[in-house]
This record gives sequence, structure tokens and C-alpha cells, in this order.
Amino acid sequence: MDRPAAGASYQRFPRVRIRELRDDYAKFELRDTDASMANALRRVMIAEVPTVAIDLVEIEVNSSVLNDEFIAHRLGLIPLTSAAAMQMRFSRDCDACDGDGSCEYCSVEFHLAARAESDQTLEVTSNDLRSNDPKVCPVDQARAYQQALSGSDFDPNTGDQRGILIVKLRRGQELRLRAIARKGIGKDHAKWSPAATVTFMYEPDIRINEELMETLTLDEKRSWVESSPTKVFAIDPITEQVRVADAEEYTYDDEVIKKAEAMGKPGLVEINAKEDSFIFTVETTGAITAYELIMNAITVLRQKLDAVRLQDDDGDLGELDAHLGGP
Amino acid sequence: MEKAKESQSPAAVKEGDYLALRELFRPHVESFDYFLDKGLNEMLESIRPMEIRDPNSNNTLKVTLEKGHVLPPMRDARSSVPLYPQECRQARITYHGEFKVDVCFEFNEQGAHVRHTFNFGHLPIMLMSKLCHLRGADPHKLVFHGEEATEMGGYFICGGMERLIRILILQKRNYPMGLVRGSFLKRGAGYTDKAVVIRCVQSDQSSVTVKLYYLQNGSARLGFWLGGREFLLPVGIVLKALIDTSDREIFTSLMCCYSDKYGRGKGVVSTQLISERAEIILDEVRNLSLLTRTQCLVHIGQYFRSVMEGFEKHDYEAVAEAVLKDYIFVHLENNHDKFNLLIFMLQKLYALVDQTASPDNADSLQYQEALLPGHLITVFLKDRLQDWLRKSKRLILEEAAKSKGFDLSNVLEVRKFLTKYTTSVGRAIESMIKVGKVNSQSGLDLPQRDGMTIHAERLNFHRYISHFRSVHRGAAFAKMRTTSVRKLLPESWGFLCPVHTPDGEPCGLLNHMASSCRISSFYNSEGALKSCEDIKKSLSAELVRVGMNPMLPKIERTGPPEVLHVHLDGCILGTIASANIEKAVNYLRRLKLAHTVPEDLEVGYVPLSLSGAYPGLYLFTNPARFVRPVRNLLTPSDGKQSIELIGPFEQAFMEIRCPDGGDGGRTKSFPATHEEIHPTAILSVVANLTPWSDHNQSPRNMYQCQMAKQTMGFCGQALKFRTDVKAFHLQTPQTPIVRTATYSKYCMDEFPSGTNAIVAVLSYTGYDMEDAMILNKSAVDRGMFRGHIYQTECIDLSTKNREKVPEIFARSALSRDTSTAIDSDGLPRLGEVVMCSMLKEVHPNEQYYSVYNSLTGAVRPVKLKGTEPAFIDYVAVNGANSKGGLQKANIRLRRVRNPIIGDKFSSRHGQKGVCSQLWPDIDMPFSANTGMRPDLIINPHAFPSRMTIAMLLESMAAKAGALHGKFINATPFANSMSIKEEDKDPCEPKSIVEEMGSMLASYGFNYHGTEFLYSGVFGNEMEYAIFIGPVYYQRLRHMVSDKFQVRTTGRIDQITRQPIGGRKHGGGIRFGEMERDALLAHGSSYLLHDRLHSCSDYHIADVCSFCGSLLTATVIKSDAQKKAKHEMLGLPTVRPPKNFVCQACKTSKGMETVAMPYVFRYLAAELAAMNIKLELRLSNKSEWPASQES
Repeated sequence: MDRPAAGASYQRFPRVRIRELRDDYAKFELRDTDASMANALRRVMIAEVPTVAIDLVEIEVNSSVLNDEFIAHRLGLIPLTSAAAMQMRFSRDCDACDGDGSCEYCSVEFHLAARAESDQTLEVTSNDLRSNDPKVCPVDQARAYQQALSGSDFDPNTGDQRGILIVKLRRGQELRLRAIARKGIGKDHAKWSPAATVTFMYEPDIRINEELMETLTLDEKRSWVESSPTKVFAIDPITEQVRVADAEEYTYDDEVIKKAEAMGKPGLVEINAKEDSFIFTVETTGAITAYELIMNAITVLRQKLDAVRLQDDDGDLGELDAHLGGP
Repeated sequence: MEKAKESQSPAAVKEGDYLALRELFRPHVESFDYFLDKGLNEMLESIRPMEIRDPNSNNTLKVTLEKGHVLPPMRDARSSVPLYPQECRQARITYHGEFKVDVCFEFNEQGAHVRHTFNFGHLPIMLMSKLCHLRGADPHKLVFHGEEATEMGGYFICGGMERLIRILILQKRNYPMGLVRGSFLKRGAGYTDKAVVIRCVQSDQSSVTVKLYYLQNGSARLGFWLGGREFLLPVGIVLKALIDTSDREIFTSLMCCYSDKYGRGKGVVSTQLISERAEIILDEVRNLSLLTRTQCLVHIGQYFRSVMEGFEKHDYEAVAEAVLKDYIFVHLENNHDKFNLLIFMLQKLYALVDQTASPDNADSLQYQEALLPGHLITVFLKDRLQDWLRKSKRLILEEAAKSKGFDLSNVLEVRKFLTKYTTSVGRAIESMIKVGKVNSQSGLDLPQRDGMTIHAERLNFHRYISHFRSVHRGAAFAKMRTTSVRKLLPESWGFLCPVHTPDGEPCGLLNHMASSCRISSFYNSEGALKSCEDIKKSLSAELVRVGMNPMLPKIERTGPPEVLHVHLDGCILGTIASANIEKAVNYLRRLKLAHTVPEDLEVGYVPLSLSGAYPGLYLFTNPARFVRPVRNLLTPSDGKQSIELIGPFEQAFMEIRCPDGGDGGRTKSFPATHEEIHPTAILSVVANLTPWSDHNQSPRNMYQCQMAKQTMGFCGQALKFRTDVKAFHLQTPQTPIVRTATYSKYCMDEFPSGTNAIVAVLSYTGYDMEDAMILNKSAVDRGMFRGHIYQTECIDLSTKNREKVPEIFARSALSRDTSTAIDSDGLPRLGEVVMCSMLKEVHPNEQYYSVYNSLTGAVRPVKLKGTEPAFIDYVAVNGANSKGGLQKANIRLRRVRNPIIGDKFSSRHGQKGVCSQLWPDIDMPFSANTGMRPDLIINPHAFPSRMTIAMLLESMAAKAGALHGKFINATPFANSMSIKEEDKDPCEPKSIVEEMGSMLASYGFNYHGTEFLYSGVFGNEMEYAIFIGPVYYQRLRHMVSDKFQVRTTGRIDQITRQPIGGRKHGGGIRFGEMERDALLAHGSSYLLHDRLHSCSDYHIADVCSFCGSLLTATVIKSDAQKKAKHEMLGLPTVRPPKNFVCQACKTSKGMETVAMPYVFRYLAAELAAMNIKLELRLSNKSEWPASQES
């Protein structure tokens, strides 16, 4: 780092506070950093955290009503437990096989065989997929397995234990196939994205001008509070004072500010976004847990930064170097 | 089995749902039903028996057609296995039943009647008609037979193609229309441009148009077409020939509506000129010295005997009687009625000339009716049968003249000649449906000869329905330069949709019936045949009760304005005093509601007016009229009873109000008598599906009607059994959240056509300019807008063999190759991918079936055409008529069509756009609260100029509906209905925005449907709120994969060596003169040279600089020794320099090479062939300065 222009250090130490953490849901605060970091984390979580998904399908028999490509596409979208995905190889980088998914390092094989024998419509679901690797299986199978382990009795046909529907078969129809699941990232195809939703918002900073607020009658206060479509403000039933009920409910819709102006009280409330703190909401498809998703995202992000830094060490930043005002 | 029973009960419920859908197809099916039920026999009866007179023995034989039989479609003539439509589609055969007619022979008038049944081949049977095996089948049975559960029928299957007979507009039958047309002047000297025209239709639906022309001298001529020629008769002769009458009687009849005391008041149609005119008419007859009826008949007969077929031997009077019967007012049987009608027409003609009555507009729906499939077939079949009789007669007479021993009484002998052409009758009908051409000598009084049928495309359901609801004005009008026919006239209100017409060439000519519009038929609402006689009797009885004076022969008459004539289907029944007429009309309408008279009776009451339409009470009971339901306000409204069917003729004179509770600006003296049921009744089915179309700019709704018919959706549930040449299929369609009432009424959920996409309206990347739109790549990955194209190829080897060598499907016995898609029977395996043959690399999978030549034993594998791989979806073998081995097979190919850049999409509001990018999900803007990323981004500039407000409403409403978990009703004009209930609930009326906005706000969203989004690229909040919400988007069938055309090198034309055209052959797109001019103007000469020369027919020619000839260069064999030497020395063996010699100059000294387009050389050769020498003067700029050149 011998650039003279890069004098002051901008290094900051972001803090994370986890508010809520469940298997497939997380809510956390990210502070002391800026939007570029927050957005990079979001983008990596959606598109670059690897998972395993069915990628190659070899259909032996398909006499169902859906065509082969449709079934293959549906299979691909089934989330598979991919806790081990970080350790797996991309099949394009795999040296144990020639990328056709025949080795254990880069691929997992699935089999599915279903044939409707009775008059009842047979629903072929993700539960019918048989994996050759116990670590990788459809997420609802894994959940059922864990529930069985923990002793709580379950009926495979109730609730969400039915699995993800692939196709329905009528009497005499048959579906038999071999599928190979491979590691991939959401950038290549959405089926590899472990994130259902990743979003963040700037933490709002709401300041009510108490003096001005006191000039309002209770009815005015009430109508002002109700002007926000979300429940950001509330009126204290005892003191009849307006207080911020939940700042994070605020959607930056400016409705309350417009309302205040309409009421002839501009500056009743001042709302600013805190530029350096973000509230993240993460939901996963179940392929990996929300915790894994966040941690893996940080790992991937670090790897990417490493890649940039390594290039920098070689002094091979090329045009970018010149752009940054280098020698 | 229990399961089957279980599922039957919901199916039964479903069937009721499809009734609304079936109703749309009823005009087609009912008209064909009538043909089968009664029309056929009626038509056969009306065919004049053929009489053959043996020239040798003077014996006669009378051949009468008696009774027709059409049998349901059978697979085989002998066995009684029913043939189902699905089999016909698969085997590419016709869904037809045998057609037989009983023929009666009568020898020498009094001889015994001998009956024989003749087989006239096969008649195509309309699906769901009375002879169709699927008639009345429940959805279960339909599905079992490979049809849609909703199958509505109404079409024919000819050679596997589904074709329907187009409904055409015809002139209203049996109504004399006053017309002013320039073309009437061309009839001859003395003719004017005014005439009264009546299209008379007989009970067998054949029609004869009679025109009554006005002459400058005040007389009139009666014209009709016979044998390709128009015959013009003085009207006086016809009047006298019709009945035994006197000049006096004619005179008073004509004068009846004139009186000195009238002056020029309201409803006066006649002027004093009429007496002079009547005298002229009578003088004309007198001048020909025709005084009695017989004289007139003889006069007519003399003229017509030569042209009337089959009357060569009859006396003049009989000929004249036949002319009057067959050509003049054929809808009437009684000559007195004809006389009365002719008098009426004369009066109307004079009123038209004197401008006391206005001319009728032939383009207005008021004077039009529909040509229905069953009627067309009846008419055409009659013509073909008459043609058959004519031909057979000629054959028999020839035979009789030739051989002496021929005996007419020998029925078997005669039968031999009669059967010669019988099958041509059935074939003619089939080919008429197949190609749409009506080949007949007489023209059958039809507006056009071809284009009668169209292919019922099942691209999607909207298009399919529209085919059956379309009404065409006639092919002749498409070429007309005037636009008056295309005008949207107020008369078509409620009958033809003002929105649903294509723009461009057929605009206004191809209309669609409004959703509630029906066409009257021979069947009443209970499905029973109506009896014309009974109707006429009961109607005249009722009319007499309300004060009609029946029209009796020989009575002193009066006319308007004192009394009005009462017409029933073109027959003058009597007169009603104009004071009582309103009462009578109201009485008739009450009878209509009570069903004592036909419910679709048209009470066309034209009131007295000051030079308006010619007054009268015109009643119509005939079929093929447009009718629509409205609510009658005069009768006590007890629900169902008050719905009355009205026609376009009466509608023009009725007071119908909008059901919004207002009076529509009417005064108390003219109260509304009727009320629309719902304002959406004016829209067609497709136009009715646009949500809130009343909030859109009107052309946008028209565009949507076009685009709805081009969407790629579910073309049918029975796709598996379909053999369409091309079918589009959307993999994951959805039902729209925002929908109109029509959507559920016509079960559109069975055939969905789009996806609820989350649409953000913002200008985001620049890739959404000019109606481009950005799709979210992840959404596409997850299956949005994915689709397939199914193409069925029917391979029939039996028709292909040219050298009479049978070919069959087979694979080479030696081949053990399993890598190809071809299975052991020579046909492809299901699910196999077939690569295209255009790719450079050879792929084993590019062949998909192989053919074995049974003579040579050669096996010929066939490659797949086109540029993209296909999946084998389905293979069907047709072994019905192959003797040895497989010869006929259907192979259905499936091609994947995932959305790519360049594919076309549209919302339901005429907002189409092309996908410009598949944008990564992470780069799309996202909502901070919900994390939602849009599926689709469109540019805000799409709205201001197009004003598709309903699309914005749809977005808001769909968002609210999605949050609330219910469908939103977006029926247009709903507020003009709800105001009526205002009296009960005053706070009810609310705008859509208010309703949806408060709903959105209650779920914590912005009232106006906007959201603050974050940039997906930078992570910062965007400055302005973005309008985002779900909008139902349709994928259109125009896809780049079917259209892109690119070429660098490839096939060239043999003669000019220029690239060939045509996408199929890998040709280029023409870079024409205008494109050349553009490049010239830019001065981009290098590009110009590249396009027009290097990439085209670049050629290096050898030119002799001495003689300047381009063609005389000949090659001398290059020196073999030199070549060998080169090789020995290891010198680079470039191209050995060719030696050219000018053939004319006998030297190679002057040879130069010149680069030129090859066509230039071709031009030189062509010119040389015409003995013109083309000489080039070669120059080198350095040697020959430009200034020296002249």
C-alpha cells in the first residue's frame, strides 16, 4: 500500500447484533459500516452462497402428463440440505471426475421410481427421492428425519410433511429417473440460491418535535398517527402523548411528514435514515440454516476480497490501479 | 369404478357451467341441426323433378328426389363402429357420415312409382350437431374420447383439419330496401341510381334478389338474375301477369297512399306525381298491346323459354308461371301476395324518388342478417344435386340418342347412368369446407365465392372463441377503396362489438358478435322446431284482434299516413290504423314475453316521420337474424319474464336506456320502454375480459383484443391428443387476480393465458427504453413464462412414392446402433432429443425416422429440418388403410421456448413490450420491508401517452387482492350498474382507487400502491417511491427463436451467385436500394462495399483489355511441367496461375483481372444472347488521368 493518496485509514469495525435466529429465519443489526458492505452481504447471500441442487436428470420412464423437461425443472427447484456444500467441489473444478457428476466429491445421486398401481391418484413428491448420500436430501425429508429422531411422532401425510409435489400419476403411469445434484451458486441459476428473502433497511432515526406535538389536540394526534400505513407511532393511553412505537415499521413513505405539512405543522417530526446501521431480514429456503447462510456469505465475501487483495499484492491491479491513483 | 362415480357428480355440476360457453357456439350448431332435422328434406322437396323424354319412343321418365338420409359417422361402411372426431384428427381424415337420398321414378306419368336409394357419398358432420357421437356427452365422456371437457363443437373436421364456416353478413331477407347506388345507372339508358331491392328467401334457404329500378320517365323495371344475366321486365307486365287484374285496379292500388288533403305532413310518403307514373306504367303495357294476363304470360314466356332449363317443350304460359314462381318474390307462394308486395315496393320506390322517404343504408346492421353454416350447406347441396340431375339427364339423353335399344322404363339401366356422378355431390361439399370455395354456375346469390370457411386455430382459447363469434362483411368490401362500410354505426350497438375488430386491412369488416348477441334459429328456447305455418296463423289472428284489417284481394285501400302496412316476413298481412299502432306493438311485445308468439319475433315498427324511413310494421320470424336480450320495462318486472329478445331492425326505433338509473336525456313524452341488462353486453367475449376497460383509452382495448388472440397460453387440456401443426403451451400459467365477471362465466380458468408478474414501473437500467422490459432472471429460472411449442408432422409415405414403389417405416436390419433416436420400427423413441441438421458438427441424433424402400431395399434416414433441437413428444401410427407395413405416422415434436431477449410480452391493456435483458435478481431493486424484487420492470413512459389507467388500477387491485387473498372483480362499467342501488345504500359509490387504496393501507402499504425501493446494485434507497404490484402479463407467440435471421456465408443463388433469401434455408435479408442510400448518405463506403460486394457476389473476372470483352476469356491448361517443378523444388503450391486467352483476340497479352459483382458478368452474358456486346474499357488511374475521360 504505497499509494500516497490513500493516507487516512477508513477501516471500521462493524458490529453485528442478532435479534432473532431460527432455522430458516434471522434478523440482525449491522452497525458501523456503510451501504456498500450491507448490500454486498445481501448480494452474496442471494447469489453466491453455494448449495446443492439437482442439475442433471436422466429419465428412464416417464409416462406422466408432464414432459421430461418440466419434471427436470421441478426437480431442480427442490431445496436439498446443503450444509456440506461449502466443502464440496464444483463439478467443473473436480479432478476426480470429468465433470459428469459421477464422483462423490462433487455430486450426489438421486433415484426416483414411482408407479401408480391403484385407482387413487398417486402424488410423487420430494419424499420419493432416494439419495445415495445421507447428508444431502430434500429438506422436508431431513426435517421429518430429525423429528423422528427427537421422538415426536409424526404422520408423513399430515401438514407440511407431505413433501414437495413433483407430479401426479394416474393408474398405470410411471416415473423412473436418476438425478444428479451438484454444487452451484444462485448467480448461475436461481435453484442454487439458498435465500428466499434477504433484505435490509436503514435504521430510521425518528425525532418528534414534542413542543409542536403538544399544540395538537388528541383527535389531531390520532389522525396524524393513523396517517402512517404502518404502525410506527402510537398514543400513550395515559399521558396522551405521541411516542414512537416501532421505528422499524417505518417504510420511508413520508406519509406522516406530508400529513404534518397538510395539518400546517411542518417539522412535527424529523425522520432520517441512519447511514451506518442496517437491519437485515434473512429467510432461507431450508437448504442451509439462516445462521449458515450468514456465516457462509461472510466467508464467500472474504474469499472474494482475498482474491482482490492477492491480485493487489502481485501489483497486477492493472487498469484499476491506475484508476485508483497509483504510481 | 366407485372413484369414477364419485367424480361424476362434480362433472355434472361443471357441465352446467359450460352452458354459457356452448351458448356462444349455438348459431353454428343449431343451423346445422336444422339442416339435418328438416332443412335437407325441405330442400329436396323444392328441387324440381327432372323429366326425361326419350326422343325415339316419346316415353317420359320423371325423377323425383324424395327423402334424404344422413347417417352418423362410422368407421367403416359395413361395420357399425362409430367414428369419433379424435380419430379423424389423428388419421387426417374427414368426420363425415353417409348421405343417401330416396329417388322416385315414374314412367309415363301414370306408371308405377319405383323407389331407389342413391348413395351420394359422405357429408361432413358438424361436431356437437345432432349426428355427432359426442352430442350431449358429459365432460367425462368427452375426455374419454380425447376431447376437451368444454368441447363446444360448431366446426367440421376435413382431412384432419378443423374448419368452420364463417358467418357472413347478408342483406336482410324479405325486406324491400330503398337504395341509391351509382352502379344502377349502368343498367342502361334511362335508368336512375334509385331502386328498391328485396332479397327473397325460400323455405329451403335459397334466395333470389329482385330489384325494382326507377326509370327517368317515371316507370320502373323489375330485374333479377338468371343464368349469369340480369333480366329486366317492365313492372306493368309483371303486375298484370301475376293476377287477373284491371288497369283500374292497378291504378287505385298505386294511388292508395296519396290524397290531395295531405299536403306534405308527417308520414306522407306519396306525391301527386304518382298518378302520372301509374299511367306511364300502364301505358307501357298497353303499347305492347298486352291487355290480359294470358297475353302478359305469353309475352314473358316467349322471352324466357330459351333460358329456363327443362322447359324447352312447355308452352309459353307454363314457362312464364315458372319464371314468376322461381324468380319473382320466391318467399311468397300466393300470386296475390306477390302483387301486393310489388305494389308496396313501387310505392316505396316513388317515395324514395320524391324524397318523402329516406334511402336505407345497406351498410347498417339494421338491414342485415347472417349467413349460417347450415344454410350455406343447404343451398350449396341443392345446387350440387341439381347439377347432378342435369348431368345425368344429359348422359341419358346421349345414350338414348346413341343406342336404339335403350329403354327408359328399365330403371336399372337408368340407374346406371344416374349413379355415375353421385359421389361427386358429397365430395363437393367436403371440398367446399376444406378450401372454402363455392363452385357453382349460378353464384347462389351469395356475396362471395371463396373464403367461406376458415381454420379454427387453437392457438389459445381467446382466438378459438373469436373464430366462432366473428362476422365478416364480405370479401368484396376488402378491396373497396371507400371506408363507409368499415364505419362503426350506432345500429350495431349491442350486436357487434365496437372494440373487437382488427386494425389494419380487415378493420371494420371483420367484426365480432357481442357476448350476449345470439342469432335466431328454427328452434325455440326449449329446443323444439318452430312451425312457420302455426306462427303465421297465430300472429295474424292476434293482429286482427288488435285492429288489423286483413289484406283481402280487390279492396279499396288506403296507405300511410292513415294506415300502416303490416308485413310478416315479406308478406303484407294487412293494415293497421296509425292511431292504433302503438297499442298493437305493445301488445305484440307482451305476447313475446308470454311466449304465445315466438320469443325472437322482431317487431319492426317504423313510425310515421317526415321523410324518414318508409313507415310500416315489419314483423320478422325468420332465422339468421341477430337478436339480443334486453329488459322490457312495460311489463311488470317479475324476474325472468321481462327479458325480451330484440333485433337490430326494431332496435333503431326503440327507447332503451342504460341501467344506471338515469333517463339518458329522455323527456317524459318519450319514456324508455326497455333497459339494457348490463352495459358490458355491448362488448365481445374477448373485449369483456379486459379488466376495467372503461378506464382505458379506447384504441388500447382494441390492441388488447388483438394481443389476447396472440398469447401463448393453454391451448387446450387435451393437448396430449392434439395433432395441430403448431401449438403453443405455457408451462406455468396462472389465473389472474384481477378479473371480470366474464372470466368466470366462460370458464377461462380452463384455458389460462398468462402470469401474475410483479411489475415495477421505473426507469432502471436504460434497458427499458421504448417499450422494452426487463425480466428478472431468477424469476425466469424458477419457471416464469416458460413454454413449449408442439409441432406435429404427419408423414404419409403412401402419397410420397412417385415411382409406385411402396415405402414403409423401418430401420436397417443391420444397424445395431442405439445412439440414434430411431427405434427398431423406424420411428423415433419418445422423449429423445433430435438435433438439427443445420449445425456443422455431425451429430448422430439428427435423424428421427427412417424409410425403407421395399423395391431397392435401401434405408433412408430422414433428418430434422430447422435450426434447433426438438424432443420427440408423441408418435402415433395410423394403420387403418395400409396393406403392408407402416406408412402413415404422426410425430409430434416439442421445442422448448424459455423467455429470452427479444421475446414479446404484453399486459392486458394493449401494453406490449419486448424483453431486453434477463437481469440478475441481485441487481433488481428490492423493497426493504418485504424483500420483494420485481419480476418485470417497465418504463414509466409507457403510460402518459397511452393512458391505460386500468393497468395502474389492476396493479393496485391485484396487490390488494393478493394481500387479502381474494380475486378482485374488475368488470367494466360496474359503477353504472351500482348507482341503481344507491337509493338503498348512499355511501356505496366509491372509486376503485378509494376502495383499493384503503385496502392496501389496511395491510400497511402505501395507499396508492407505491413503495420505496432500494437499488439492488448500490444498496441505497431510491429517491422516489416506485409503483409496484402484480399485473397479469401474457406471453405473446412472437418469439425471436422463430424469427431471428443471421448469415455470414451460406447458400447462394445458382445464377446470380448472390445470397438467397428466406429464413428457412439460411438465407439473408435483402439489403435493398433504400438501405444502400442510407449507407451512401453516411459515406460509409467500406461497409457498403462489404455488404453489397464482398459478402454478396464478389467475383474476379478476366477481361480482355483489347477487345473489352468479359466473356471471351478461356482457360489454357496450366503447365503441368511447371507444376511438377514447383513440387520438386518444394515451392509453395499456391494456386497455379491460370492462363487465360482472349478467344477473340487470340492472345493472352491483354488479359486483366477485374473484381466485379457476378451479376454484372451475368448481365453481359444475357446481353450477348440478345446480340448486344458489352465492352469494358479498362483503365489504370495512374496511367489514364481522370481528366482525359469525357
